[in-house]
Amino acid sequence: MELLVASALGLLTSAGVYLMLRQRTFPVIVGLTLLSYAVNVFIFTAGRLTVNLPPIIDKYANGYTDPLPQALVLTAIVISFGMTAVLVMMALGAYLEAGHDKVDMNDTDETPKGGAK
Amino acid sequence: MSHWIIAPVILPALVGAAIMLFMRNDLLLQRVFSLASTLALTAIAAALLWAATLHPPEVYFLGNWPAPFGIVLVLDRLSALMVMLTALLAVAIQLYAIGSDWDARGRHFHALFQFQLMGISGAFLTGDAFNLFVFFEVLLIASYGLMIHGGGKDRLRAGVQYVAFNLVGSSLFLFALATIYAVTGTLNIADLAVKAQTLPEGDDALFRVAAVMLMLVFAVKGALVPLQFWLPATYANAPGPVAALFAVMTKIGAYAAIRFGVMVIPPSTPATGTLIADLMMPAAIATLIIGAIGVLGASTLGRLAAFAAIASMGTAFIAISAFTPAATAAALYYIVHSTLAGAALFLIADLVADRRAHDRLDQALPPIQNSGLIAGLFMASAIATAGMPPLSGFFGKLLVMDALRDQAALVWSVILITSLVVILGFARAGSTLFWKAHAAAPLEGPRHEPQGLAFTATFGLLAGLVALTVFAGPVMAWMEATALSLHDPAAYIAANQLPQVK
Amino acid sequence: MSLALIAALPFIGALLPGLMIRAGKNACAFVTGSVTALALLLLGLNAPAVLRGEVVQTRIDWLPSLGLNANFFLDGLGLLFAGLILGIGLLIIIYARFYLSKSDPMGQFYSYLLLFQGAMVGIVLSDNILLLLVFWELTSLSSFLLIGYWKHNPEGRQGARMALTVTGGGGLAMIAGMLILGNIVGSYDLTVILQNKELIQASDWYLPALILILLGAFTKSAQFPFHFWLPHAMAAPTPVSAYLHSATMVKAGLFLMARLWPVLAGTPEWFYIVATTGLITMVMAAKIALFKDDLKALLAFSTVSHLGLITMLLGFGTAEAATVAIFHIINHATFKAALFMSVGIIDHETHTRDLKRLGGLRTLMPITFAFATVAALSMAGIPPLNGFLSKELMLEEAYHTTWAGSAWLMPVLATIGAMFSVAYSFRFIAHAFLGPVRDDYPSKPHDPGFGLWAAPAFLALLVVIIGFMPMTSAAWLVNTAASATTGEPVQAYIKHWHGLGSPALWMSVAAVAAGLILLGAHKRLMALWNATPRPEAKAMFDGLIEPFAHLSRRLTDRLHDGALTRYIAIGILTIAATAYYGFSTGTHTPGTRALLDVHPVPALGWFALALATIAIVIFHRNRLLTLVLVGIIGLMISVGFAYFSAPDLALTQISVEVVTVILMLLALNFLPKQTPAESTDSRRALDMGVAGIAGLAIAGLSYALMTRDPAFAPIADYHIANSKPGGGGTNIVNVILVDFRGYDTFGEIIVLGIAAMVIYALTEALLRSGPANDRLVAWTPDLKRAGDRHPMMLVVATRLILPIALMVGVFIFLRGHNLPGGGFIAGLVVSIALVMQYMASGFAWAQIRQKVDYHALIACGVLIAAATGIGSWFGGLPFMTTGFDYFHIPPLEEFELATAAIFDLGVFLTVLGAVMLSLASLSRIALRAGETINVEPFDIDPSEGRSLDDLDPQEAR
Repeated sequence: MELLVASALGLLTSAGVYLMLRQRTFPVIVGLTLLSYAVNVFIFTAGRLTVNLPPIIDKYANGYTDPLPQALVLTAIVISFGMTAVLVMMALGAYLEAGHDKVDMNDTDETPKGGAK
Repeated sequence: MSHWIIAPVILPALVGAAIMLFMRNDLLLQRVFSLASTLALTAIAAALLWAATLHPPEVYFLGNWPAPFGIVLVLDRLSALMVMLTALLAVAIQLYAIGSDWDARGRHFHALFQFQLMGISGAFLTGDAFNLFVFFEVLLIASYGLMIHGGGKDRLRAGVQYVAFNLVGSSLFLFALATIYAVTGTLNIADLAVKAQTLPEGDDALFRVAAVMLMLVFAVKGALVPLQFWLPATYANAPGPVAALFAVMTKIGAYAAIRFGVMVIPPSTPATGTLIADLMMPAAIATLIIGAIGVLGASTLGRLAAFAAIASMGTAFIAISAFTPAATAAALYYIVHSTLAGAALFLIADLVADRRAHDRLDQALPPIQNSGLIAGLFMASAIATAGMPPLSGFFGKLLVMDALRDQAALVWSVILITSLVVILGFARAGSTLFWKAHAAAPLEGPRHEPQGLAFTATFGLLAGLVALTVFAGPVMAWMEATALSLHDPAAYIAANQLPQVK
Repeated sequence: MSLALIAALPFIGALLPGLMIRAGKNACAFVTGSVTALALLLLGLNAPAVLRGEVVQTRIDWLPSLGLNANFFLDGLGLLFAGLILGIGLLIIIYARFYLSKSDPMGQFYSYLLLFQGAMVGIVLSDNILLLLVFWELTSLSSFLLIGYWKHNPEGRQGARMALTVTGGGGLAMIAGMLILGNIVGSYDLTVILQNKELIQASDWYLPALILILLGAFTKSAQFPFHFWLPHAMAAPTPVSAYLHSATMVKAGLFLMARLWPVLAGTPEWFYIVATTGLITMVMAAKIALFKDDLKALLAFSTVSHLGLITMLLGFGTAEAATVAIFHIINHATFKAALFMSVGIIDHETHTRDLKRLGGLRTLMPITFAFATVAALSMAGIPPLNGFLSKELMLEEAYHTTWAGSAWLMPVLATIGAMFSVAYSFRFIAHAFLGPVRDDYPSKPHDPGFGLWAAPAFLALLVVIIGFMPMTSAAWLVNTAASATTGEPVQAYIKHWHGLGSPALWMSVAAVAAGLILLGAHKRLMALWNATPRPEAKAMFDGLIEPFAHLSRRLTDRLHDGALTRYIAIGILTIAATAYYGFSTGTHTPGTRALLDVHPVPALGWFALALATIAIVIFHRNRLLTLVLVGIIGLMISVGFAYFSAPDLALTQISVEVVTVILMLLALNFLPKQTPAESTDSRRALDMGVAGIAGLAIAGLSYALMTRDPAFAPIADYHIANSKPGGGGTNIVNVILVDFRGYDTFGEIIVLGIAAMVIYALTEALLRSGPANDRLVAWTPDLKRAGDRHPMMLVVATRLILPIALMVGVFIFLRGHNLPGGGFIAGLVVSIALVMQYMASGFAWAQIRQKVDYHALIACGVLIAAATGIGSWFGGLPFMTTGFDYFHIPPLEEFELATAAIFDLGVFLTVLGAVMLSLASLSRIALRAGETINVEPFDIDPSEGRSLDDLDPQEAR
C-alpha cells in the first residue's frame, strides 16, 4: 500500500511540475494545484499510513493514527487555497492588462523592463 | 512571563483588521492609525531588544502548553534585533509611502502593510518550525498584495512570476518540514537542536535531505544563486516603498539560515556535518558575482538596486557559511547595514523614477528636479551599498573579510573585485542620471506632491547607516555576544524547558 | 585629541561653504580658507615637538574587535605632508576664489575641496592602516566629484570615472595588502607595524602584501602602467589640477611608500619593482610631455615623470636616496603647483592652453612670465633653483646604482629623463612667453589681478629661497622627514657645487645641452612623433571597460530575461540535485516498518487517480476538461484521506475542492478556453525529464519515510493523551487546530483574510480606466451561452437546499470539537450553499438580496479569534490558553462550552467572508464585462414565458 501511495505522489508531482513548466498561466496554476495536492499527501504520509484508526478519542478505539500531520495538512490546504485564489486572480488581471496569458516575460518587446513606474 | 513578546504579532494584526473593519474608505484615518501602530511597534521592539540584551532568552508558551508540544515564541538577542530592524525600516517606509502618495495609488495599502509587519515579526519570534512556515505564508501573501499594489501590466505579470516561484518555495518548505517531523517526530526548534545531535546513524541520510531542503527554502528567500531569478523583476516592478520593505524580506532568509544553520545543525552535528557549509559557500560566492555583474549591467535603476540587493545577500551568506562566531557577528552587522542601505537605494530610485517618468539607464534624459539633493542621496547610498568608506558598508566588508582570513585567497579577491565592479556600475549610473542630463531642462514638475516626508524617510535611513558607522564598536560588541549565544544555544534550549528524553 | 581635530576640521568645515555661499563668494572663500588656516595653525602648534624628534599621538577606540581605531600620530613625514596639504590648500583656496567664473557653483567646489583636504590629512596622520584605507578611498571619491565638477563637460565625466576606477581599484587591492600586513604583524597600528621589519620580510606573505600595497600606491601616484588616468583628470578646473594632481593626491602613493619604507624597502623585490617602475615612468612620461601642445597635458605628463623620479629614489632603498626623494617632494610641490596656477592664469586670460596658439606673452603678461619662468627653470633643473639641487642629488644616486649587474643603465636613463624634462620645460617658456606678440589670441591677454597671481608668485618665491639657501630654509624639514621615513637619524648636506669631480655635474650638463638641442629640433621631432602610431591610453581603457560593461549587460539580461519556466526548471533541478547529494553522502538504513497490504478498493482508487493525472498531462490544453480532471483528482485524494483514517482531511479536501474549482471556472470564463501548443518536442522532452526527476525524488523520499519509524517518539503522543483532559475535545485534530497549535490556525485565517483583501484590491485596480477595463468593456462571450442560464429547476432546488445546508454548516461547526468538522469546514459548507444561490440566479441578483459586508465579516472573524486569544491574558495566562466546562441545563443533556469554540467562530466568519469577497470581486468583473443583473430569480418565467435576453441590456443593467 505504501508503494501505491508513494507512486501516486510521484505521479502527482511529475504532472504538477510538467504543467508548471508550460508557457501559459492557466496550466501553471493547475500545475501548482497538483503540486499542492502532492505536498498535502506527502505531509500526511509523514504520519505513516494507518487504516481504521481515526484520531477521535473513543474508549473502544484500539489506537490512533498520528493526528499532528493531519492538522498540519489542514493548515497547508487552507493556505494553499488562499494562495491559489490570489494567483488565479492575478493571472486573470495580468491577462486583462496584457491581452495575453504568457507567463514568460522574455518576449523581445518586454526586456529590459522598467519604463513608467 | 511577559505578554509583550507576542505584541509585535498581535498589534499589527488587530490594527490591520480594525483598518479593514472601520476605516477602509478613509485614507487619512488609515495613515494615522497605521503609522501610530508602526511607531508603537518600534517602541515595543526597543523594549524587547533591551530585555533580550539584559536577560537570557525568554520563551512564551502559547496556549500554556509545554514545549515541544505546543507552539512557543522565543525572544532572544537575534529575534529582538531583527524585529527592531523591521520596525525601524517600517517607520521610514511608511513615511515615504505617505509622502509620495504611493499608499493612495491602490486599495488596502496600510492594512496589507500591517499584516506584512505581523508576518515578519511572527517569523522572527517563533520557536516552532511549522509556525515559521505559517508566518512565511502570512508575510508572503501580504507581500503579493503590496507587490502588485497599484496594478499595471508589467507589475502584474512580474507579480504572477513572484507568486508562482514562491509557491514552489512554500511547497519545498512543507516537504522539508514533513520530512523533519517524520524523522525526528518534533517541530520545536530547540527540541530539534537537541535531537539533531543525538540522531541514530541510520537516519542521517533522510535528515540530511530535510536539512538541505530547508536551507534551500531559505536560499529562495535570500535570493541565493541559482534561486535568485525571481528577485530582479519583482523588486524592479514593485512600488518603490514596497521594494524598500522587501530589503528586509531577503534578510528573513538570512535570519532563518543563521537560526537553523548555526543553532540547530551547526557543522559539529554528526548527521549533517559540513554539508550545509559546503553547499552554501560556493552558492554565496556565485551570488555575489552575479549581483555585482548585474549592478554594472542593469538596464534600469530599479534593476540596478535589485542586483545590488542580490550582491549584498551574497556577501551576507559568505559570512554565514563560515559558521564561526566572528563570521556570524560580521554577517549580522552586514545584514543590518545592507537592509538599511538597500531600502534607501530603492527609495532614491523611486524618487528618481518619479521625476523622470521612467527609470532607464541607457538614456540620460530627462534630467530630474532637485537633482543636487537627490544626487547627494544617491551618492551616499551608492557608497554604502558598494562598501566604500566612510559608511558602514566598508566596515561590513572588512569584518567579513577579516573573519574569513583562512579562505583569504578566494573570498578576499571575490569581495574586492566585485566591489570594484559595483563601484563602476554606480559611477556609470550616477554620472548618467545626474551629470550627463545636466544641460537639458527638467520635466514639468514632479508627478506627485513635493515629497517632504519622502525625503525625511530617506534621510532617516541614511542617518541609520551613519549611526551604524559611528557606533560600530559597541554595535559589533553586541553582535559578537549575540553570535556567541547562537553558537552555544544552551540558554536558548534551556528556556524551552524541554522534558528530559529518556 | 588635537591630531584627530586637525583631520576632522576640514570634514566639519565642508558643511560651511554650502551655507556661506548665500553670503557671497568672498564670505564663502574666507570661511573655507579660515578652516584650512585653523587646521594649519593646530599643526603648527605640534610642529616644535616633532622637530625635537618626538612623536605626537592620539588614540580613539572605534571598532576594536576589528582593530580599526581612530589612532593618529604625527612625525616628521606626517608633518611635511600635512604642511604641504594644508599650506598649498590655503593657496589654492585663495586662487580658486578668483579663478572660478560666476556660473560655477562655488559653494559645492569648496565643500568638495575641503572633503578632499580632510581625506588627505587623514591619510598622512593615520596611525592605523585600516583608518588610512578609509581616508585613502575617500580621496578617490572626493576627487571623483572634483574632476567631474564641470558636469556639462563629457571629458570631465569620463576622466572622473576613469580616475575613480583606477585609483579606487588600486585602493581595493591595497585593502587586501593592508589586511595581510596587519595579519602578519598581528596589529593594524602603523607604529607597531613599523617595528616589525624582520617579521614582515621573513613572512611568506611579504611578496603578495608588497605587490597589493604597491598596486594601491602606483595607481594613486600614476606610475606606469597606471599613469594614463592622470592626463584625463586634467579636465578638472585648474585649481583642482594644481592641488590634487601636482601637490597632494598623486603624492599619496609616494607618502605610502615612504611611510612603509622601513618595513617594506631594502629587499631585491622592492628594488626591482619600485625602482624599475619609477625609472620607466620618469623617462616615458618626460618624453610624452615634450610632445604635448596642451599646457595642462604637458604639465600632467611632467608630473607623472617627476613622480616616477621620486618613486625610483624610494625604490633604491638607501637612506640617502630616500632623503633626496623627500627633498624633491618639497621642491616639486612648490614649482609644479606654481606652474599649474600659471597655466590656469594663461588659460583664464587668453582662453586657450594650446602652445601652437600662444607665444609672445612675455610683454603682455610680464608678472606671470616672471614667476612662471622661475618655476619652469626649476623644473628643468637649472641652478641655482631648488629643482636643480634635488636633480643633482638624484643623478648622484642614480650614478651609484647598478641595475641587474649593469652599472651604466640607471645613470644613462636618468640622464635621458633629465634631458627630456629640460626640453619640455624650456619649450614651455619659449613657446608660451617668448617669440613675437601675436594678434590672434582667442582673447586679449594681460596680467590678472593680484588675487589670482599672489599664490603662484608666493610659491615661485619659495622656489628661489630654497634654491639659494637650502640648508637654512629646507634642510631642517628634510632631516626630520627623512629621519622619520628611514627610521634612522639623517643629516642632509645640500649644496650647489659638488666639485668638478662629481659625475652628477656632467650628467646634468649633458642633460641641459641635449635638452636644448631637442628643443631646437622640436618641429621635426614633432612631425616624427605624430607620424609614429602609439597606443592611446583612453582607448585601451575604454576597450577594457566598455566590452566588459556590455558583456555584463548581455549576461544579466540573458540570465534574468523573465523566463519563469526556465527559472522554475533550474530551481527544481537544483533542489533535486542537492537533496540527492545530501542523501547519497549520508548513511541510510532501509525501513523495517510493517507495510499495509493492498486491498482492491484502494487499488481501484489509485488507478483512477493515476489515470486522471496522466489524462491531465495529455489533455491540459482543453482547460475545461482540465478542471474536471482536477476535480476528480481532488475527489480521489479526499477518498484516500477518508480511507487512511483522516475524516477531517477528507471533509476539508472535498469542500476546498469545490470552492477552488468554482473559483477557477469563474476566472476561466474570461480566459482563453484553450492553451495553444507552443512548446517544441525537444522542450517537452526536457520538461518531462525535469518532471520525472521531481516525481521520482518525492516518491522515493516518501517511501523511505513511510517504511521507517521516527527516530524519537513523536510529540503527537502528548496531543493524543491530552486532547480530552487538557483540550476538552475528542477530535484530536480539531483540538490541535484550535488549541495545541491554535496559533497556526490564527495565522492561517489571516492568510485567507489577506488573500481576499488582495483579490479585492486587485479587482479595484483592474476596474480603473486602463487597458484591463477597456478589454472588459469590449468583452464578448467566446462560448455559446445557454438560452436559459438560470434554470428554474436549479433555482427552486437551491432555495430548498439553502436552509438545510445552513443547518448542516451549524451542525458541523458545533460538533467540530469532538467529531470531524469545525469552523473551517463549516465556513466552506455555508459559503458553498450561498454560492449555489448565486449560480442559480446570478451573483448580483443574490447580492442585492443580502446585506452582509464581506470585509466586515473577515475583519470580525480575525478580531474575534484574536480577542479569544487575548482573553486568556486576563486570567494571567498566555495568548490562546483555552478554557472549557460542562453544563447541564434540563431538559437538555449535558453539553460543553469551550473558549476554543469562540475562536472557531472567528475561523468560520473569516473563511466565509474571504470566500464570498473573492466571488464578489469576480462578479464585479463579470458585471463590467456586460453581465446583466437578473430582475427575476430565473431567466424564463413560466408565468410570462419571457426571457431576460429579450430585455434591452441597458434596462436590465
